Formats: sequence, structure tokens, C-alpha cells
Amino acid sequence: MTLLSVRDLRVEFATSGGVVTAVDGASFDVDAGETVALLGESGSGKSVTAQALLGIVPKPAGRVCGGSISYDGRDLLAPGAAKGLRGREIAMVFQDPLSSLNPVFRVGAQIGEMFRRHRGASRREARAAALDLMQRVGIPAASKRLDDYPHQFSGGMRQRVMIAMALALSPRLLIADEPTTALDVTVQAQIMQLLTRLQSEEGMSLVLITHDLGVVADVADRVVLMYAGRVVETGPLREVYEHSAHPYTSGLMASVPALDGPRDRLIPIQGSPPDLLSLPSGCSFRPRCQYADAVCADVEPDLRQLSGRPTHRAACHHPEGALTHAH
Amino acid sequence: MPTESPLLSVRDLQTSFPMRSSVLRRTVGQIQAVAGVSFDIPAGGTLGLVGESGSGKSTVARTIIGLEKARSGSVVFDGEELTSLPKASMRRVRRQLQMIFQDPYASLNPRATVEQIIAEAWQIHPDVVPPNRHRAEVRDLLERVGLNPDHAERYPHQFSGGQRQRIGIARALALRPKLVICDEAVSALDVSVQAQVLNLLEDLRRDLGLAYLFIAHDLSVVRHISDRVAVMYLGRIVETASQDELFTRPLHPYTQALLSAVPDPKPWDKPAREQIIIGGDVPSPADPPSGCGFRTRCWKAEDRCAHDVPELTTRLESHPAACHFATELAGAAS
Repeated sequence: MTLLSVRDLRVEFATSGGVVTAVDGASFDVDAGETVALLGESGSGKSVTAQALLGIVPKPAGRVCGGSISYDGRDLLAPGAAKGLRGREIAMVFQDPLSSLNPVFRVGAQIGEMFRRHRGASRREARAAALDLMQRVGIPAASKRLDDYPHQFSGGMRQRVMIAMALALSPRLLIADEPTTALDVTVQAQIMQLLTRLQSEEGMSLVLITHDLGVVADVADRVVLMYAGRVVETGPLREVYEHSAHPYTSGLMASVPALDGPRDRLIPIQGSPPDLLSLPSGCSFRPRCQYADAVCADVEPDLRQLSGRPTHRAACHHPEGALTHAH
Repeated sequence: MPTESPLLSVRDLQTSFPMRSSVLRRTVGQIQAVAGVSFDIPAGGTLGLVGESGSGKSTVARTIIGLEKARSGSVVFDGEELTSLPKASMRRVRRQLQMIFQDPYASLNPRATVEQIIAEAWQIHPDVVPPNRHRAEVRDLLERVGLNPDHAERYPHQFSGGQRQRIGIARALALRPKLVICDEAVSALDVSVQAQVLNLLEDLRRDLGLAYLFIAHDLSVVRHISDRVAVMYLGRIVETASQDELFTRPLHPYTQALLSAVPDPKPWDKPAREQIIIGGDVPSPADPPSGCGFRTRCWKAEDRCAHDVPELTTRLESHPAACHFATELAGAAS
């Protein structure tokens, strides 16, 4: 069952250099209980897409100027709709937990606030519920730590606090924007394990936004890969990783050094990341693409289903190039 | 060449920072950021120094280059002891010893052109490049790092992140160093650009005979570029070996956990592995555990780990690891 459906989403930002289209016609679905990875490098539009889902695109610079987002049959772009669902139905975890927590309130009170505000819980009930959540997200000695302030927690523990707050009202969709990017690798492993455990316990959908191809490989069912505001490839994770159809995807895969096997010279993607203020005509990836030809300069490629692969789509005029080259 | 002395030799290096009381700013203790670190880098070699935040890896670099003062120990570079060198002599040595930083934007003067940024070092060391050769030399350097020589008059903000890091590399090369310290030099870059810069660093090493001290938290990047690797935890090296040996036969439980925690983009290619997920965080260097620093997170820890600091020594035939159980772990791994 489709829980979230994004169609032709467009988000613009006014900058000193002009208007940039941060998200340019993005479409994807998230099924109930599914984990979807929203992948991309800086400037790809992945975080802005998440902001649009939650109705928190920074104003007045940014605005959603096209497309639709429907959540469980409801129009999320309708005035006030996202705000009504935020926290209850759709929750979010950010990269930097310290800036998302209030430094002057005790952690237990901040988690409990969710129950007091949304469920009308008493102070005592909220405190008990906060303790229960802190234990569920694996904070050691939770009963002692209820009355600590955010700065007294380490980065990994703060992220657990954020996850506890996000889960407080049993959301059906959790959006995690680079949840482990600021953390050390051993702590990252803990947090990813926690997120996947909670997701299966709760049966919620999870949208993981990241630039790291490896972090999501073990956990995501499907991948939505973005470049310069557009979705360039989408499909089941393993299929996209093993049979990348977009030259950008296969280029990313070849850019990551391996942790075992021979140490071959890396094959980077040529050129620089796209400048959103002066995107090329046609396909945005064209200046960096080895398969680009005249068609790519003239026609912006649509996200098309690949022959023989019903759930795998790529926005490329020459998907066979990447497919045959890499494998 | 075992008889040839290494380009850089660090012995029992210790660096500490004073802990001050909040009101009177009295020194109430010392934070031991680097607690006795030793390693060698041969000319043209690359040592990868890995560790998580708070491991002291950046402090090692800053102490070698003289940005922090060593509390004890020795740093011998190209035959000269740096920790006791007078300032004037240090300036001469520093020519051969350059550094590339993580954030290429913060480390480039926004009001200076690329040419001014690169040529600045020649004002301090006029003997390297005479003034009438500055322009030509800047063009050569830009070309070498893969930038358009015609962009020498541009300012840092006109370049992308990857290009800025290339400017930082060109500046480091301006004085023709023998050793370049790369402190998280590719960490801030997008993966597609990171691969370009890694290839560039490899080319420069080959063409110019550079040696690198390559500091990073990303293990796959370190594996890719290093000849030898040293793993740091709480101010100490807990294991060191050739790149191949360390990644195929890690001995220290921390190294094993670290390698196990690295996300694999193609997990289905490998035999199913038991992922080691260690609990907790790196303890504060201000209040390190007694004995072995890793014991609070280690699944093999016993009573003696709380009392005896394990030495970084070679047990049996394998490579050095600072763990009381390294012999046993070596047996299990082989």
C-alpha cells in the first residue's frame, strides 16, 4: 500500500544570484512499512525534498511551486496539512541533534512534552512515557539521565534522544536526514541498528536521506537517487547498485574506494558538481557524462522504466551505456 | 632499504592540554590528547592514521608541524629534531613539511587571488622561486593539480569545493615539500569529487616522490592510499601494520570493531559476516579509563585490562597490537 506519493515536486529558492530550482519535478512513492533511501550529493535536492514533505521549506526564500504530495490519501501541500501531521503521523530526525534540542530544558521533559502537548498527559505520565522511550532507544541508566541537559549527552546519545522524541507519538513515517553523518563510525553502526530495529518493531515507513551509498545498503528496500534537483534513477536497492542504469549512479559506485579486494585506481566522475544557477540544457549530468551526445543537450530525459526491469527506472537517453560498461 | 633512516620518525610523542577551572582559570589537570605515539614514515611512503573523534590523530599532526607544543618525546624530520628547534630553523624545515586541511574554504584567504595565495609562501622563502618566476610557477602548479592556469586571478569563492581543495594542494606543493600532512583532506568532499582528489594525491606522490601522513576517519579511503596504517584510540596507537595486513588480519578488538562498522555498499558480494557493534562512545580524553583505554567497550576485557596498559608490541609472528589478548586474537584470525 502506498503511504506517501510525491509527484512532479518543484521547490524554488530565491538566492542573491537568482532563483534556483532546488527540486525540479521529483516523483517517488513510499509504501507502508518500506525503507526508502533518498541518495544524493550536496545540491542534489534531497534535503529540500524532505523539508517539503514536512512543510518546513525555509520561508520566504523557498517555496513549493508545483507538484503534489499525498500522504495516506491526504494532500500534504494543502495549507496547514503538513503541520497537522508533523510529529504525530510523520516524524523527522536531523543530522545535528544538538541544534534540534532545546539546551535549557532537561531531556526527559523535552521528550515528555510530546505526550503533554499531543496526548494531554499529566506531568507524571509524561515522565514515565519519556523514561520508557529512553530505555527503548538504548540510553543506559535512563532513569538517571531523564534530568540531564542535552549538552551532557554524547553525540550518539543525543541522536538516540532525537529518535525517542520522533517515535513518541508512534508515527507511520519517519524521515531521517543524514542521521549518522555527524557520528563516528562505531556509533553510526549503533544508530543504524537501532533505526532498523525500531522500524521493524513499529512497522513504520522509513525515508533515509544520505550521501553515503554504504550506510543504506544493508537496510533500504528501494533507492531514489537525485542529481541537480531531479530523480535520475530509482529501483530496488540491490538492482540499482549492481546494475546501475544512469551513468551518474555507476560513476558514484566506481568512486567509492573498496574495503577489500584489489586496490584499483579509482574512476572518478569528471568535472564539478552542478551549479544550480546555470544548469546546462537538456540532461543536467551531460557535461560530466561520457555517453552524452546531441540528444542529451536538446532533450531533458524523463524517468523511464528500463526494458525487462519493471521496477527499475532511470532518467537517461543511453542507459545501456552504463549498464554494459559497469558489468 | 632498512639502513636508510626514515624521513619522519616520531618517538613516544606526548601532547597535553591544560584543563582550567571555570572561574579562576587555574590549571586543574591535563588532558592527555596524545599519550605516547611512535611511528616512522620513509621517504615517498604513506602512513594512514585512522581514529574516531577524540583519538588525538589531528593533534599528532599539529604537534609534528609545531602548531602544538610537545610535552615530551621526539620528532625527527630529515635528520633534525623538531621539538627543540629554534624558531628560525623551524621555518627552514617547515618548507619541506606542508599540510593540507579539511575545510578548503576556511583555510584560503577569501580576499586573495589564487595566485597570491600560492605565491605567498615564496615571500617567506624567496630562494625557492625568484619573483620574476612567480607567475609562471603558479601556472605550472595549477596545471599540475588539474586547475585551469588562466584562473590564477580568481578568488576562492569562484571555485567549487573540490577545486578549492586543489588550490590548497597547490599551495602545499609551492615550497616543494618532502612530506605533506593531509588532515581529513578529502572528508568534506562529495564522493564523486573525492575520488578525483585521491587520484591527484596518488599522481603527485608518484611524480614528485612525496611522502604523506594521511589522517582520516574514513577507513576505505585510508586503505586506498596508504602503505602502512596506524589505528589510534584515546591518544595511543593501538595497532599498526601494512595496509594489506591490517585490513585482512586486524588484531586489536577496536580495529576489528572499526572495520566491522564500516558500511559496505555491496554487502551481498561477501560471505555473511557477523557485524561487531560495540556499545557506548569513545570516553573523554579528560577522564580516560585506567589500564587499556578501550576496555570499557571491549568484549574481551578482563580484570588485568583495568590495571595494565597493554604495550604496542609484536606478539608471535604478527604485527604490533596493544592488546593483552593479541596473541590469542592472531591465532583466531589466521
